[in-house]
Amino acid sequence: MKRILLSLLGVLAVALALLTPAFAQTKGKVYYLVPTLLDEFQTGSVSALEMFLKQVGYEMQTLNADNKTDVQQSQMNDVIALKPAAIILAAVDFNALKPSIEAAMAAGIPVVEFDRQITSTPSSFTSVAGTIEIGHVAADVVEGLLTKKYGSVKGKILQVLGDPGDPYTLDIQKGFEEKMAAYPDVKIISLPAMQWEASNAGTIVSDQLLANPDIDLIFNHAAHLSVAAAASLEAAGKKPGDILMLSSNGAPVGLDLIRKGWMQAEVEQPLYAQAAAVAMFMDKIVNHQEIKAGEYDVLGLKSTLTIEAWGPNIKIPGAAITLENVDNPAFWGNMKPPTETIKSVE
Amino acid sequence: MNPNTRRTLEFVLDNLVWFMLLFVLLVFSLFVPNYFQPGIFANIIEASSVLGVMSIGLALVIIAGHMDLSVESVAALSAMAVGIVFCSAGIGMGVQLSPDWLGVPVSLIIALAVGSAIGAFNGLLIVKLKMNAFIVTLASYIWVRGVVLALSGGRSAQDLAPAIRWFGVQRLLGLPLTAWIAILCFVVFSLIMAKSRFGRHLIIIGGNQNAAFRAGIKVDRILITSFVLAGAIAALAGWLLAIRTSGATANLGMGLLFNAFAAVVIGGVSLKGGVGALPGVYAGVLLLSAINTAINLMGLPATSTQVIHGLLVLAAVLLDTLKLSIRQKLA
Repeated sequence: MKRILLSLLGVLAVALALLTPAFAQTKGKVYYLVPTLLDEFQTGSVSALEMFLKQVGYEMQTLNADNKTDVQQSQMNDVIALKPAAIILAAVDFNALKPSIEAAMAAGIPVVEFDRQITSTPSSFTSVAGTIEIGHVAADVVEGLLTKKYGSVKGKILQVLGDPGDPYTLDIQKGFEEKMAAYPDVKIISLPAMQWEASNAGTIVSDQLLANPDIDLIFNHAAHLSVAAAASLEAAGKKPGDILMLSSNGAPVGLDLIRKGWMQAEVEQPLYAQAAAVAMFMDKIVNHQEIKAGEYDVLGLKSTLTIEAWGPNIKIPGAAITLENVDNPAFWGNMKPPTETIKSVE
Repeated sequence: MNPNTRRTLEFVLDNLVWFMLLFVLLVFSLFVPNYFQPGIFANIIEASSVLGVMSIGLALVIIAGHMDLSVESVAALSAMAVGIVFCSAGIGMGVQLSPDWLGVPVSLIIALAVGSAIGAFNGLLIVKLKMNAFIVTLASYIWVRGVVLALSGGRSAQDLAPAIRWFGVQRLLGLPLTAWIAILCFVVFSLIMAKSRFGRHLIIIGGNQNAAFRAGIKVDRILITSFVLAGAIAALAGWLLAIRTSGATANLGMGLLFNAFAAVVIGGVSLKGGVGALPGVYAGVLLLSAINTAINLMGLPATSTQVIHGLLVLAAVLLDTLKLSIRQKLA
């Protein structure tokens, strides 16, 4: 019993030691409220933001909401009480976090919207690729793929969404479908992979291959869903390229599927540039200085900063990744973080 | 009521979940376009393989009068362990064994070792330290998923070794081998529950643990074994999941726990313990899979599918409750 108690105390001591922060000279602490860590884009955003913020002198602390709105609201309340230099928020729910953002802003704490744009209330800065725009880019890719196959834009598309409770996937769907509406000869079947779980996507693909054997193209809203979709295609006796496939977010697994021929394209979310833009403007954000509209070069990507009703908004263009450019190290899915050091905007 | 009518009614009630399954298949075949075809029925069986195997382990523990909430996370950890070792892309190490087929038993051993260890840990805490099974396994549900996240760093392992993936691609009588593995598991564990001393003792313990102890049954040993088995079987489900998706993601298997509980309850296993048989659980799993497939084919708006899914499961459970009340009146 004594030994067990001693071991327990030892474990507690180690845990406490790990929790003790290392004090270093920084311009301040920034909290990043990430919606989930069960997603390669989000885990990638943590390391990218941490790296770029460190380059401009800020320390970053991440809090994971496990895709739960109420958890993220509590985190916001806790962080506001800590009075950090700034809060970076990738909201689980675009609307539910509005009161928390307003509370932080009222307390004088700048709030930066990362990746998920909130237009219903002002914030200090927004860095996005634009979820609706991702849908648009995907539609452009689909237009090209179907035209190449048929000579015109026609055919049947299976759209595998993420969890239907996640506005992120619903926005991509909205962007995709509003652009595809121009093509009456295209039929889109949309089904959700509950909880963004890969095997659910696999089941949808297996079922739809039988119900709609004439499916021309599958559009998955995340690369990890494409892995299960490709596995289902393989189990159904399909070969790479028999059914066209694309997905969005540009995760490493998606790039591997392009190299293997299972996917023809990925819509890249410019993760590194989105994170770099936040760091580039962090001094101005923290010091409540004016941010000017205009064109900015963010890691070589021409990005447009506009002053919107909800505050300064930088939009970084997403790109289509295909077999021709898949090895470009600029794509975050290739896991080669930029070597150049970023500088704060003067 | 004459004896023949009574016997027929009892037969129907005892196998109500199978009749429900047939009814649901008939209705969906009539009203859901493209539902009635052999390929769809094969899909239903294939899609239920992971959930089915997981439900076996969960059912064993529930029949023994306890609960195991960790099965979903255990399956995810086993899948991730197999994925990290045997996948060649993403975070996979791409370990290659010679000959290739050696990867099958080795990956299975890795998965089963992970699952058994967590099951043993749960069992020891619950049985030896008399801790509450709900709390212990809830904690395991959380920390084991945390280990998956920590191991993977949120990234995916992809492109499982072809020798292992073979089980998901090869078909026998129209069904992939993974589905046959699930069916085999149901047959084996149904026989164990019906014919072996372990199975009988498990039911007695679930019915009345004190009476079982007084009757000389080694309650502690059997209970710990049931938790080890639940862990190992969940790990087998994870192994099948990795095969099915050709790898593993950090959120793999999320939501399976609640479906497994639904399947077990629909299958006639009492949450109070001591009642239930595995063939009924398999029917419950097939029923859920049949409903899922119908939803996939109906082309309903994404936002309403969860409501329909929930209501159909509720309807199935209500029917099961009705069965119990009729059964009591007959007794």
